[in-house]
Parts: sequence; C-alpha cells; structure tokens
Amino acid sequence: MTDIDNELHDALRNGQAMAEAGRIPDFDTVWARAECTVVHRRRRVRAAGGIAAAAALVAVAFVSQFRQTEHEWQFVNPDDFASSTSWLAPSDVLLPKHRIDIYEEIPVLIESTDEDGGTLL
Amino acid sequence: MRDSDVLDNNPHVSRSALEAMHGQVFGWALSRCDFEQTVAEDLVQQAYVELLTGRARFDGESSLKTFVFAVVQNLSRNRYRRMATRLRLLEKAGSEPGADAAEAAEPGEHIELWKAVQELPARQRDIIELVFCRDLTIAEASAVMGVTTGTGRVHYDRAKKTLKSRLAND
Repeated sequence: MTDIDNELHDALRNGQAMAEAGRIPDFDTVWARAECTVVHRRRRVRAAGGIAAAAALVAVAFVSQFRQTEHEWQFVNPDDFASSTSWLAPSDVLLPKHRIDIYEEIPVLIESTDEDGGTLL
Repeated sequence: MRDSDVLDNNPHVSRSALEAMHGQVFGWALSRCDFEQTVAEDLVQQAYVELLTGRARFDGESSLKTFVFAVVQNLSRNRYRRMATRLRLLEKAGSEPGADAAEAAEPGEHIELWKAVQELPARQRDIIELVFCRDLTIAEASAVMGVTTGTGRVHYDRAKKTLKSRLAND
C-alpha cells in the first residue's frame, strides 16, 4: 500500500465508523428474529401443503365418482351354446333396446347384371 | 467451529462466524440502502433467513464474508427492483410515489472524504467501500458486486484517482 492508499484507508475507515456509530443492532436480536421468520415460514408451507393435499383428495374423490366403471370381459363358454334352444339376431336386440340400427351404414349393393323387362339377366 | 454452532441447512456456516462479521455485514447493508437503519436491519435479517433455510448455500468456494456480502447485495438489488416496479405502477395509476422510496436518508455525520465517496458512481463507491472499509481484496469485492476482477479493478482505479485528487485539494 502506498502512502496515499494508507491515507485513504484511514480517512474512509473513520468516515465509515462515524456513519455507522451506534447503529449496529445486537446480533442475538437480529438472529432470533431471523429464526422466528424461518419457523413461521415453515409453518405456513406446512399449512399450505396440508390444504393442497386435502384439495387433491377431494378432487380425486369427485372425479372417481363420475368415472365410468370399465366393462369386465367374459369368455364365452361353448357348453352353454350347445344346450341353447333359441337364438336372437343382433339387430333384434340392438334396435329396440339400444336404438342402434346396425344396418344403417351397410352400403347399397350395385347390380352386377343388366335388367331386361324387370328381370335380371 | 463448534458442531452445535453449524447451521443445519448450511454445513459450512456457523452462527459464531456470522456473529464475528455481523458489524461489517450490517455496515454493508446500511450503505446498500442509503443509511436507512430499519431497511438495513431487514436486509441483514433476510440474509440470515436465507442462510438458515439454505436458500443461500455456502460451498466454501469463496470466503464466507464475500459470500454473505454478496447475499446482502442481491437482496438489496431485489428490494430496489420491487420498489421500482411499485413506483412504476403508482405512476401509471396517477398517484404520488411512496414516501419511503422517495426519501433517501443521509448519514448523520460524515467527513469530507466520506462524502466524496458517497458522491462517486455506484460501482466505484461500492468497490472503494468493500476494499477500504470492509477489508476485501479487489477480486473478492468484484465477486460481491457480480463483475469480473478486471472490471472491478477499472472501477477501483477510477474511484481512487477521483478521491486522490479530492485529498490533494483538501
């Protein structure tokens, strides 16, 4: 350090010391306040976490109530058919019960032969 | 470093080490906020909170003092950023700016040179304070300010030149 550096150092140190004189708060007080803030913050985070978890549980319960149950697939037992005495066409069941017309989308077949006087050749 | 003294979320930081540099840290915080006592206390407290929670994690790459000073510096920057945003919003709304932001308290007592330091451009003032008053090296001071050592040295030289001429005139 040069002389001018030392002079600057001393002058600035004095100026700084005067500006800060008697203003430095007690370390223990500031530290205690900081610890208190940390504790409060942790409590708030925990409370927010609890509320979020409760909200998630309610949402899951709500959604699961409206969720459609999946159909259980069953294998056909051939022995049951061997002893059956009646048969229903799918359309006989689907149309009246479920209003599904399975023939609705079947395309119209184009005649493969020419007509002659109302009869097909 | 006593074992019981070490912070849970910051294994390289002890309470006693922070206590030893408390005065210096507070002085640095004080100059970050135009010597407003309450703001400086808030800044130091917030810095301790950051260290306690581990949000500011010291890994021993620099000295602890440099690290804590940098934490205070960042916190004060964030504070002024928030304040500037608030002021802009207030101006947009057509109301008067807040008194807390407009008022900048002057230190009660100061000598001529200290006054000259306060009149320096912000970066020059910071590096002079860190080097001469807080006993950091230029490299450490540059790290606190978030600039390269080369840039820090340029600010340091310019500031010293201004202050030297001030000293010569007095």
